[in-house]
Amino acid sequence: MASQKVPLSGYFTNQLWGGNQILVAVLGICSALGVTNRLSVSITMGISVAFVTAFSCFFVSLLRRITPDSVRMITQLAIISLFVIIIDQFLQAYLYSMSKVLSVYVGLIITNCIVMGRTEGMAKNVEPIPAFLDGLGAGMGYAWVLFVVGGIREFFGFGQLFNYQIIPLSWYADAQHPNAYDNFALMVSPPAAFFIIGGLIWVFNIINRRTA
Amino acid sequence: MAEPPVPPRENPTRTIIFMVVLSFVCAFILSILASVLEEPKETAKDLDRSKQLMIAAKMLSHDGHFLIKNDQGEYVPAKSLPDGTLEEDSKIEIPSQAQLIAVYKKRIQSLLVDDKGNITNFEKAGLKEDDYVAEYKKSGYYKQPLKLVYAVLPNAAEKDSKPEAYVIPINGYGLWDAIYGYLALKPDGDTVLGISWYDQKETPGLGANITEPAWQSQFPSKVIFLPSGEKPNLKTAPLGINVVKGKVSDVLGDSPKAKTAVDGMTGATLTGNGVTDAYRDVLSAYRPFLIKLHEENSKK
Repeated sequence: MASQKVPLSGYFTNQLWGGNQILVAVLGICSALGVTNRLSVSITMGISVAFVTAFSCFFVSLLRRITPDSVRMITQLAIISLFVIIIDQFLQAYLYSMSKVLSVYVGLIITNCIVMGRTEGMAKNVEPIPAFLDGLGAGMGYAWVLFVVGGIREFFGFGQLFNYQIIPLSWYADAQHPNAYDNFALMVSPPAAFFIIGGLIWVFNIINRRTA
Repeated sequence: MAEPPVPPRENPTRTIIFMVVLSFVCAFILSILASVLEEPKETAKDLDRSKQLMIAAKMLSHDGHFLIKNDQGEYVPAKSLPDGTLEEDSKIEIPSQAQLIAVYKKRIQSLLVDDKGNITNFEKAGLKEDDYVAEYKKSGYYKQPLKLVYAVLPNAAEKDSKPEAYVIPINGYGLWDAIYGYLALKPDGDTVLGISWYDQKETPGLGANITEPAWQSQFPSKVIFLPSGEKPNLKTAPLGINVVKGKVSDVLGDSPKAKTAVDGMTGATLTGNGVTDAYRDVLSAYRPFLIKLHEENSKK
Protein backbone atom coordinates (compact mmCIF):
# COMPACT_ATOMS: atom_id res chain seq x y z
CA MET A 1 0.00 0.00 0.00
CA ALA A 2 2.64 2.45 1.07
CA SER A 3 4.76 1.90 -2.02
CA GLN A 4 2.13 2.87 -4.63
CA LYS A 5 0.69 6.35 -4.72
CA VAL A 6 -3.07 6.53 -4.15
CA PRO A 7 -4.83 9.72 -5.24
CA LEU A 8 -6.52 11.49 -2.34
CA SER A 9 -10.04 10.90 -3.64
CA GLY A 10 -9.24 7.21 -3.95
CA TYR A 11 -9.31 6.90 -0.17
CA PHE A 12 -12.91 8.09 -0.22
CA THR A 13 -14.29 6.29 -3.26
CA ASN A 14 -12.69 2.94 -2.49
CA GLN A 15 -14.62 2.79 0.76
CA LEU A 16 -17.91 3.60 -0.93
CA TRP A 17 -17.93 0.66 -3.33
CA GLY A 18 -14.95 -1.65 -3.75
CA GLY A 19 -14.08 -1.87 -0.10
CA ASN A 20 -17.55 -1.30 1.32
CA GLN A 21 -17.53 -2.11 4.99
CA ILE A 22 -20.89 -3.87 5.11
CA LEU A 23 -20.93 -5.58 1.70
CA VAL A 24 -17.29 -6.61 1.51
CA ALA A 25 -15.90 -6.63 5.02
CA VAL A 26 -19.29 -7.59 6.59
CA LEU A 27 -18.67 -5.24 9.51
CA GLY A 28 -21.20 -3.11 11.38
CA ILE A 29 -23.93 -5.70 10.88
CA CYS A 30 -25.38 -5.43 14.38
CA SER A 31 -26.62 -1.88 13.96
CA ALA A 32 -27.46 -2.48 10.29
CA LEU A 33 -29.95 -5.09 11.45
CA GLY A 34 -31.16 -3.12 14.44
CA VAL A 35 -31.97 0.36 13.19
CA THR A 36 -33.03 -0.02 9.57
CA ASN A 37 -36.80 -0.38 9.84
CA ARG A 38 -37.35 3.29 9.00
CA LEU A 39 -35.56 5.45 6.46
CA SER A 40 -35.25 8.46 8.76
CA VAL A 41 -33.65 6.32 11.46
CA SER A 42 -31.19 4.69 9.05
CA ILE A 43 -30.12 8.08 7.72
CA THR A 44 -29.52 9.49 11.20
CA MET A 45 -27.52 6.41 12.11
CA GLY A 46 -25.54 6.50 8.86
CA ILE A 47 -24.63 10.16 9.29
CA SER A 48 -23.70 9.63 12.94
CA VAL A 49 -21.36 6.77 12.07
CA ALA A 50 -19.82 8.71 9.18
CA PHE A 51 -19.20 11.67 11.50
CA VAL A 52 -17.64 9.50 14.20
CA THR A 53 -15.46 7.50 11.80
CA ALA A 54 -14.25 10.56 9.90
CA PHE A 55 -13.25 12.60 12.94
CA SER A 56 -11.87 9.68 14.93
CA CYS A 57 -9.67 8.74 11.97
CA PHE A 58 -8.52 12.34 11.63
CA PHE A 59 -7.46 12.66 15.26
CA VAL A 60 -5.97 9.19 15.52
CA SER A 61 -3.86 10.05 12.50
CA LEU A 62 -2.94 13.44 13.97
CA LEU A 63 -1.71 11.80 17.16
CA ARG A 64 -0.12 8.80 15.46
CA ARG A 65 3.47 9.94 15.91
CA ILE A 66 3.21 10.73 19.59
CA THR A 67 0.94 7.82 20.54
CA PRO A 68 2.92 5.18 22.45
CA ASP A 69 2.45 1.86 20.69
CA SER A 70 1.43 -0.04 23.82
CA VAL A 71 -1.60 2.18 24.45
CA ARG A 72 -2.66 2.90 20.87
CA MET A 73 -5.87 0.86 21.03
CA ILE A 74 -7.09 2.54 24.19
CA THR A 75 -6.15 5.91 22.68
CA GLN A 76 -8.27 5.15 19.63
CA LEU A 77 -11.09 4.03 21.86
CA ALA A 78 -10.94 7.23 23.91
CA ILE A 79 -11.10 9.34 20.75
CA ILE A 80 -13.95 7.29 19.31
CA SER A 81 -15.93 7.48 22.55
CA LEU A 82 -15.46 11.23 22.63
CA PHE A 83 -17.15 11.65 19.25
CA VAL A 84 -19.86 9.11 20.01
CA ILE A 85 -20.79 10.98 23.19
CA ILE A 86 -20.84 14.26 21.26
CA ILE A 87 -23.30 12.75 18.76
CA ASP A 88 -25.39 11.22 21.52
CA GLN A 89 -25.65 14.52 23.40
CA PHE A 90 -26.64 16.41 20.27
CA LEU A 91 -29.33 13.89 19.39
CA GLN A 92 -30.70 14.06 22.93
CA ALA A 93 -30.85 17.83 22.83
CA TYR A 94 -32.14 18.48 19.32
CA LEU A 95 -33.61 15.23 17.98
CA TYR A 96 -35.01 13.71 21.13
CA SER A 97 -37.55 11.40 19.51
CA MET A 98 -34.84 10.11 17.17
CA SER A 99 -32.49 9.45 20.08
CA LYS A 100 -35.26 7.47 21.77
CA VAL A 101 -35.71 5.30 18.69
CA LEU A 102 -31.97 4.74 18.30
CA SER A 103 -31.64 4.15 22.08
CA VAL A 104 -28.56 2.05 22.80
CA TYR A 105 -27.44 1.90 19.18
CA VAL A 106 -25.91 5.39 19.36
CA GLY A 107 -23.76 4.37 22.33
CA LEU A 108 -22.92 1.15 20.54
CA ILE A 109 -21.24 3.05 17.69
CA ILE A 110 -18.21 2.83 19.99
CA THR A 111 -18.15 -0.91 19.45
CA ASN A 112 -19.03 -0.68 15.76
CA CYS A 113 -16.23 -2.65 14.13
CA ILE A 114 -16.09 -0.20 11.23
CA VAL A 115 -14.79 2.66 13.36
CA MET A 116 -12.07 0.74 15.14
CA GLY A 117 -11.25 -1.16 11.96
CA ARG A 118 -10.58 2.08 10.11
CA THR A 119 -8.59 3.78 12.86
CA GLU A 120 -6.43 0.71 13.46
CA GLY A 121 -6.29 -0.48 9.86
CA MET A 122 -5.75 2.83 8.08
CA ALA A 123 -5.68 6.02 10.12
CA LYS A 124 -2.69 5.19 12.25
CA ASN A 125 -0.56 4.66 9.12
CA VAL A 126 -1.43 7.68 6.96
CA GLU A 127 -1.59 11.47 7.02
CA PRO A 128 -4.61 13.14 8.68
CA ILE A 129 -6.34 14.25 5.44
CA PRO A 130 -6.32 10.83 3.73
CA ALA A 131 -7.32 9.30 7.06
CA PHE A 132 -10.27 11.68 7.31
CA LEU A 133 -11.39 10.90 3.76
CA ASP A 134 -11.02 7.18 4.35
CA GLY A 135 -13.09 7.40 7.52
CA LEU A 136 -15.74 9.53 5.86
CA GLY A 137 -15.88 7.10 2.94
CA ALA A 138 -16.25 4.13 5.26
CA GLY A 139 -19.06 5.87 7.11
CA MET A 140 -20.79 6.92 3.90
CA GLY A 141 -20.43 3.43 2.48
CA TYR A 142 -22.11 2.16 5.61
CA ALA A 143 -24.75 4.88 5.35
CA TRP A 144 -25.85 4.13 1.77
CA VAL A 145 -26.26 0.44 2.50
CA LEU A 146 -28.35 1.32 5.56
CA PHE A 147 -30.34 3.70 3.41
CA VAL A 148 -31.14 1.01 0.84
CA VAL A 149 -32.00 -1.56 3.50
CA GLY A 150 -34.08 1.00 5.41
CA GLY A 151 -35.93 2.00 2.24
CA ILE A 152 -36.81 -1.58 1.35
CA ARG A 153 -37.90 -2.37 4.88
CA GLU A 154 -40.00 0.74 5.36
CA PHE A 155 -41.68 0.35 1.97
CA PHE A 156 -42.68 -3.27 2.43
CA GLY A 157 -43.07 -3.20 6.20
CA PHE A 158 -45.15 -0.04 6.58
CA GLY A 159 -46.04 0.89 2.99
CA GLN A 160 -44.35 4.23 3.67
CA LEU A 161 -41.18 6.15 2.89
CA PHE A 162 -39.99 8.82 5.35
CA ASN A 163 -43.22 8.16 7.31
CA TYR A 164 -45.18 9.22 4.23
CA GLN A 165 -47.75 6.76 2.93
CA ILE A 166 -46.67 5.49 -0.51
CA ILE A 167 -48.87 2.46 -0.98
CA PRO A 168 -52.44 3.87 -1.21
CA LEU A 169 -54.52 3.04 1.84
CA SER A 170 -57.33 1.92 -0.47
CA TRP A 171 -55.22 -1.05 -1.57
CA TYR A 172 -55.14 -2.48 1.89
CA ALA A 173 -57.16 -5.44 3.05
CA ASP A 174 -60.15 -4.59 5.20
CA ALA A 175 -63.34 -6.28 6.33
CA GLN A 176 -64.87 -6.02 2.83
CA HIS A 177 -61.78 -7.09 0.89
CA PRO A 178 -59.96 -9.60 3.04
CA ASN A 179 -57.73 -10.70 0.14
CA ALA A 180 -56.28 -7.30 -0.70
CA TYR A 181 -52.77 -6.03 0.07
CA ASP A 182 -51.22 -6.35 3.52
CA ASN A 183 -47.94 -5.10 4.95
CA PHE A 184 -45.12 -7.61 5.05
CA ALA A 185 -44.78 -8.06 8.81
CA LEU A 186 -41.37 -9.74 8.68
CA MET A 187 -39.87 -6.55 7.22
CA VAL A 188 -40.48 -4.67 10.45
CA SER A 189 -38.37 -7.05 12.52
CA PRO A 190 -34.54 -7.21 12.41
CA PRO A 191 -34.24 -10.64 10.70
CA ALA A 192 -35.57 -9.03 7.51
CA ALA A 193 -32.43 -6.89 7.30
CA PHE A 194 -30.40 -10.08 7.52
CA PHE A 195 -31.98 -11.42 4.34
CA ILE A 196 -31.84 -8.06 2.57
CA ILE A 197 -28.16 -7.57 3.32
CA GLY A 198 -27.48 -11.12 2.18
CA GLY A 199 -29.32 -10.33 -1.06
CA LEU A 200 -27.41 -7.06 -1.48
CA ILE A 201 -24.05 -8.84 -1.12
CA TRP A 202 -25.13 -11.29 -3.80
CA VAL A 203 -26.20 -8.51 -6.21
CA PHE A 204 -23.04 -6.57 -5.38
CA ASN A 205 -20.84 -9.55 -6.26
CA ILE A 206 -22.66 -10.11 -9.56
CA ILE A 207 -22.16 -6.46 -10.57
CA ASN A 208 -18.50 -6.51 -9.59
CA ARG A 209 -17.85 -9.73 -11.52
CA ARG A 210 -19.45 -8.22 -14.64
CA THR A 211 -17.36 -5.07 -14.51
CA ALA A 212 -14.11 -6.83 -13.62
CA MET B 1 10.41 -1.90 0.60
CA ALA B 2 12.82 -0.82 3.23
CA GLU B 3 13.38 -2.88 6.35
CA PRO B 4 11.08 -1.48 9.05
CA PRO B 5 13.08 0.25 11.75
CA VAL B 6 13.24 -1.42 15.14
CA PRO B 7 10.81 0.46 17.37
CA PRO B 8 12.57 2.27 20.18
CA ARG B 9 11.88 1.09 23.70
CA GLU B 10 8.95 2.95 25.15
CA ASN B 11 9.41 5.27 28.01
CA PRO B 12 6.72 4.35 30.62
CA THR B 13 6.62 7.84 32.10
CA ARG B 14 5.91 9.29 28.69
CA THR B 15 3.15 6.76 28.12
CA ILE B 16 1.50 7.62 31.41
CA ILE B 17 1.74 11.35 30.76
CA PHE B 18 0.26 10.83 27.29
CA MET B 19 -2.73 8.94 28.66
CA VAL B 20 -3.34 11.40 31.48
CA VAL B 21 -3.24 14.38 29.12
CA LEU B 22 -5.49 12.61 26.60
CA SER B 23 -8.04 11.72 29.25
CA PHE B 24 -8.06 15.25 30.58
CA VAL B 25 -8.55 16.79 27.18
CA CYS B 26 -11.41 14.41 26.36
CA ALA B 27 -13.06 14.93 29.75
CA PHE B 28 -12.71 18.69 29.42
CA ILE B 29 -14.35 18.77 25.98
CA LEU B 30 -17.19 16.56 27.15
CA SER B 31 -17.88 18.50 30.32
CA ILE B 32 -18.09 21.76 28.39
CA LEU B 33 -20.45 20.13 25.91
CA ALA B 34 -22.60 18.66 28.67
CA SER B 35 -23.06 22.01 30.39
CA VAL B 36 -23.79 23.82 27.14
CA LEU B 37 -26.38 21.28 26.07
CA GLU B 38 -28.00 20.83 29.46
CA GLU B 39 -30.82 23.27 28.84
CA PRO B 40 -31.91 22.08 25.39
CA LYS B 41 -31.75 18.52 26.70
CA GLU B 42 -34.06 19.32 29.61
CA THR B 43 -36.48 21.14 27.31
CA ALA B 44 -36.53 18.23 24.91
CA LYS B 45 -37.21 15.81 27.76
CA ASP B 46 -40.01 17.92 29.20
CA LEU B 47 -41.63 18.26 25.82
CA ASP B 48 -41.44 14.51 25.33
CA ARG B 49 -43.12 13.93 28.71
CA SER B 50 -45.94 16.28 27.75
CA LYS B 51 -46.28 14.49 24.43
CA GLN B 52 -46.42 11.07 26.08
CA LEU B 53 -49.09 12.35 28.47
CA MET B 54 -51.16 13.54 25.53
CA ILE B 55 -50.61 10.20 23.77
CA ALA B 56 -51.94 8.37 26.84
CA ALA B 57 -54.94 10.71 26.90
CA LYS B 58 -55.60 10.14 23.17
CA MET B 59 -55.01 13.78 22.30
CA LEU B 60 -51.98 12.94 20.23
CA SER B 61 -51.33 9.97 17.96
CA HIS B 62 -48.16 7.91 18.07
CA ASP B 63 -47.22 9.47 14.73
CA GLY B 64 -47.26 12.89 16.37
CA HIS B 65 -50.45 14.54 15.08
CA PHE B 66 -53.36 15.72 17.21
CA LEU B 67 -56.42 13.54 17.68
CA ILE B 68 -60.00 14.48 18.35
CA LYS B 69 -63.03 12.34 19.08
CA ASN B 70 -65.69 12.75 16.40
CA ASP B 71 -69.44 12.26 16.79
CA GLN B 72 -69.14 8.54 16.15
CA GLY B 73 -66.70 8.25 19.04
CA GLU B 74 -63.72 7.56 16.77
CA TYR B 75 -60.42 9.34 17.09
CA VAL B 76 -59.59 11.28 13.93
CA PRO B 77 -56.68 13.58 12.98
CA ALA B 78 -57.04 17.19 14.06
CA LYS B 79 -55.20 20.47 13.81
CA SER B 80 -54.77 23.04 16.54
CA LEU B 81 -56.18 26.54 16.42
CA PRO B 82 -54.25 29.51 17.82
CA ASP B 83 -56.22 29.46 21.09
CA GLY B 84 -55.23 25.87 21.81
CA THR B 85 -58.44 24.13 20.82
CA LEU B 86 -58.51 21.34 18.26
CA GLU B 87 -60.49 21.06 15.08
CA GLU B 88 -61.09 18.02 12.90
CA ASP B 89 -58.87 18.05 9.86
CA SER B 90 -58.60 15.46 7.12
CA LYS B 91 -55.01 16.48 6.40
CA ILE B 92 -52.41 14.98 8.73
CA GLU B 93 -50.24 17.74 10.09
CA ILE B 94 -47.39 17.40 12.59
CA PRO B 95 -47.76 20.23 15.12
CA SER B 96 -44.88 22.49 16.11
CA GLN B 97 -43.44 22.66 19.59
CA ALA B 98 -45.35 25.86 20.37
CA GLN B 99 -48.65 24.33 19.24
CA LEU B 100 -48.06 21.27 21.41
CA ILE B 101 -47.39 23.43 24.46
CA ALA B 102 -50.42 25.64 23.76
CA VAL B 103 -52.76 22.66 23.59
CA TYR B 104 -51.17 21.07 26.64
CA LYS B 105 -51.61 24.26 28.69
CA LYS B 106 -55.20 24.62 27.59
CA ARG B 107 -56.33 21.07 28.20
CA ILE B 108 -54.19 19.55 30.93
CA GLN B 109 -54.67 20.62 34.51
CA SER B 110 -52.44 19.29 37.30
CA LEU B 111 -54.30 18.39 40.48
CA LEU B 112 -53.50 16.72 43.76
CA VAL B 113 -55.50 14.08 45.58
CA ASP B 114 -55.19 13.20 49.25
CA ASP B 115 -55.52 9.83 51.01
CA LYS B 116 -59.30 10.21 51.25
CA GLY B 117 -59.65 10.85 47.54
CA ASN B 118 -60.40 14.58 47.81
CA ILE B 119 -59.15 16.72 44.98
CA THR B 120 -57.18 19.87 45.60
CA ASN B 121 -54.66 21.84 43.56
CA PHE B 122 -51.15 23.10 44.04
CA GLU B 123 -52.24 26.60 44.97
CA LYS B 124 -54.56 25.48 47.75
CA ALA B 125 -52.05 22.96 49.05
CA GLY B 126 -49.35 25.64 49.16
CA LEU B 127 -46.98 23.65 46.98
CA LYS B 128 -44.93 24.79 44.02
CA GLU B 129 -45.77 22.59 41.05
CA ASP B 130 -42.34 22.64 39.39
CA ASP B 131 -40.54 21.80 42.63
CA TYR B 132 -43.01 19.06 43.50
CA VAL B 133 -42.84 17.48 40.04
CA ALA B 134 -39.04 17.53 39.97
CA GLU B 135 -38.56 16.43 43.58
CA TYR B 136 -40.72 13.29 43.59
CA LYS B 137 -40.26 12.17 39.98
CA LYS B 138 -37.81 9.43 41.00
CA SER B 139 -39.47 8.19 44.19
CA GLY B 140 -42.97 8.32 42.73
CA TYR B 141 -45.83 10.73 43.34
CA TYR B 142 -48.01 7.92 44.60
CA LYS B 143 -45.95 7.69 47.80
CA GLN B 144 -46.70 11.30 48.74
CA PRO B 145 -49.60 12.27 51.03
CA LEU B 146 -50.78 14.50 48.19
CA LYS B 147 -50.57 12.59 44.92
CA LEU B 148 -50.29 14.07 41.48
CA VAL B 149 -53.04 13.51 38.95
CA TYR B 150 -53.71 15.28 35.66
CA ALA B 151 -57.21 16.18 34.58
CA VAL B 152 -57.84 16.35 30.84
CA LEU B 153 -60.44 18.96 30.00
CA PRO B 154 -62.72 18.48 27.01
CA ASN B 155 -61.78 20.23 23.80
CA ALA B 156 -62.90 23.87 23.68
CA ALA B 157 -64.07 23.69 27.28
CA GLU B 158 -64.62 26.35 29.88
CA LYS B 159 -62.16 26.49 32.75
CA ASP B 160 -64.19 24.48 35.27
CA SER B 161 -66.04 21.98 33.12
CA LYS B 162 -65.88 18.31 33.99
CA PRO B 163 -62.70 16.55 32.87
CA GLU B 164 -63.05 13.98 30.12
CA ALA B 165 -60.17 11.92 31.48
CA TYR B 166 -57.72 11.60 34.35
CA VAL B 167 -54.05 10.76 33.84
CA ILE B 168 -52.08 9.09 36.60
CA PRO B 169 -48.27 9.12 36.52
CA ILE B 170 -46.88 5.59 36.86
CA ASN B 171 -43.55 4.65 38.41
CA GLY B 172 -42.06 1.22 38.56
CA TYR B 173 -39.09 -0.99 37.89
CA GLY B 174 -38.52 -2.90 34.71
CA LEU B 175 -35.75 -5.39 34.21
CA TRP B 176 -32.83 -2.95 34.06
CA ASP B 177 -33.95 0.32 35.53
CA ALA B 178 -36.87 2.44 36.64
CA ILE B 179 -39.71 2.88 34.14
CA TYR B 180 -41.93 5.96 34.01
CA GLY B 181 -45.22 6.35 32.23
CA TYR B 182 -48.80 7.51 32.24
CA LEU B 183 -52.15 5.79 32.56
CA ALA B 184 -55.19 7.68 31.30
CA LEU B 185 -58.59 6.70 32.74
CA LYS B 186 -62.08 7.66 31.67
CA PRO B 187 -64.06 9.75 34.21
CA ASP B 188 -65.54 6.55 35.69
CA GLY B 189 -62.15 5.92 37.29
CA ASP B 190 -62.14 2.38 35.98
CA THR B 191 -61.93 2.16 32.18
CA VAL B 192 -58.53 2.70 30.59
CA LEU B 193 -58.33 5.32 27.86
CA GLY B 194 -54.69 4.79 26.97
CA ILE B 195 -51.20 4.36 28.33
CA SER B 196 -47.68 5.43 27.48
CA TRP B 197 -44.16 5.15 28.85
CA TYR B 198 -41.85 8.11 28.59
CA ASP B 199 -38.67 6.86 30.19
CA GLN B 200 -37.37 3.31 30.19
CA LYS B 201 -34.12 1.48 29.60
CA GLU B 202 -35.45 -1.97 28.76
CA THR B 203 -33.85 -4.25 26.18
CA PRO B 204 -34.45 -2.90 22.66
CA GLY B 205 -36.65 -5.26 20.68
CA LEU B 206 -37.81 -7.11 23.80
CA GLY B 207 -38.77 -5.18 26.94
CA ALA B 208 -38.55 -1.85 25.16
CA ASN B 209 -41.61 -2.97 23.19
CA ILE B 210 -43.65 -1.45 26.02
CA THR B 211 -43.18 1.82 24.13
CA GLU B 212 -44.50 0.31 20.89
CA PRO B 213 -47.89 1.60 19.73
CA ALA B 214 -48.94 -1.95 18.84
CA TRP B 215 -48.45 -3.19 22.38
CA GLN B 216 -49.97 -0.10 23.98
CA SER B 217 -53.06 -0.41 21.81
CA GLN B 218 -54.22 -3.38 23.91
CA PHE B 219 -54.92 -1.18 26.91
CA PRO B 220 -57.85 1.02 25.85
CA SER B 221 -61.20 -0.22 27.26
CA LYS B 222 -59.54 -2.55 29.77
CA VAL B 223 -60.68 -1.97 33.35
CA ILE B 224 -58.48 -1.57 36.41
CA PHE B 225 -60.89 -2.92 39.06
CA LEU B 226 -61.31 -6.69 38.74
CA PRO B 227 -64.98 -7.13 37.73
CA SER B 228 -66.90 -9.47 40.02
CA GLY B 229 -70.67 -9.79 39.79
CA GLU B 230 -73.25 -7.04 39.88
CA LYS B 231 -71.91 -4.90 42.68
CA PRO B 232 -68.20 -5.42 43.19
CA ASN B 233 -66.72 -4.23 46.44
CA LEU B 234 -64.30 -1.63 45.17
CA LYS B 235 -62.59 -1.30 48.56
CA THR B 236 -61.22 -4.82 48.30
CA ALA B 237 -61.33 -5.63 44.59
CA PRO B 238 -57.86 -6.28 43.12
CA LEU B 239 -56.65 -3.19 41.32
CA GLY B 240 -54.30 -2.93 38.36
CA ILE B 241 -53.61 -4.36 34.94
CA ASN B 242 -51.79 -7.65 34.60
CA VAL B 243 -49.32 -8.34 31.87
CA VAL B 244 -49.72 -12.08 31.49
CA LYS B 245 -47.12 -14.49 30.18
CA GLY B 246 -48.32 -15.31 26.68
CA LYS B 247 -51.70 -14.38 25.29
CA VAL B 248 -54.64 -13.32 27.46
CA SER B 249 -57.06 -15.47 25.48
CA ASP B 250 -54.91 -18.57 26.09
CA VAL B 251 -54.12 -17.94 29.75
CA LEU B 252 -57.37 -16.48 31.06
CA GLY B 253 -59.96 -17.25 28.38
CA ASP B 254 -63.27 -15.53 29.09
CA SER B 255 -62.83 -15.17 32.86
CA PRO B 256 -63.40 -11.69 34.34
CA LYS B 257 -59.65 -11.45 34.84
CA ALA B 258 -59.22 -11.15 31.08
CA LYS B 259 -60.79 -7.69 31.35
CA THR B 260 -57.87 -6.50 33.46
CA ALA B 261 -55.08 -8.26 31.57
CA VAL B 262 -53.01 -7.68 28.44
CA ASP B 263 -50.77 -9.96 26.37
CA GLY B 264 -47.18 -10.28 27.45
CA MET B 265 -44.18 -9.77 25.21
CA THR B 266 -42.11 -12.74 24.11
CA GLY B 267 -38.72 -12.67 25.79
CA ALA B 268 -39.68 -9.87 28.15
CA THR B 269 -41.45 -11.60 31.03
CA LEU B 270 -39.55 -9.63 33.66
CA THR B 271 -40.38 -6.29 32.07
CA GLY B 272 -44.01 -7.44 31.96
CA ASN B 273 -43.90 -8.31 35.66
CA GLY B 274 -42.42 -4.88 36.37
CA VAL B 275 -45.26 -3.22 34.47
CA THR B 276 -47.85 -5.30 36.37
CA ASP B 277 -46.28 -4.37 39.71
CA ALA B 278 -46.08 -0.72 38.76
CA TYR B 279 -49.79 -0.50 37.94
CA ARG B 280 -50.78 -2.40 41.08
CA ASP B 281 -48.61 -0.37 43.45
CA VAL B 282 -49.40 3.03 42.00
CA LEU B 283 -53.12 2.48 41.51
CA SER B 284 -53.68 1.10 45.01
CA ALA B 285 -52.36 4.39 46.38
CA TYR B 286 -55.01 6.18 44.32
CA ARG B 287 -57.80 3.75 45.31
CA PRO B 288 -59.88 6.22 47.42
CA PHE B 289 -59.77 8.74 44.59
CA LEU B 290 -60.74 6.13 42.00
CA ILE B 291 -63.64 4.87 44.16
CA LYS B 292 -64.86 8.44 44.51
CA LEU B 293 -64.76 8.95 40.76
CA HIS B 294 -66.65 5.71 40.28
CA GLU B 295 -69.38 6.65 42.76
CA GLU B 296 -69.82 10.14 41.36
CA ASN B 297 -70.11 8.69 37.90
CA SER B 298 -72.68 6.03 38.77
CA LYS B 299 -74.90 8.50 40.67
CA LYS B 300 -75.78 10.30 37.47
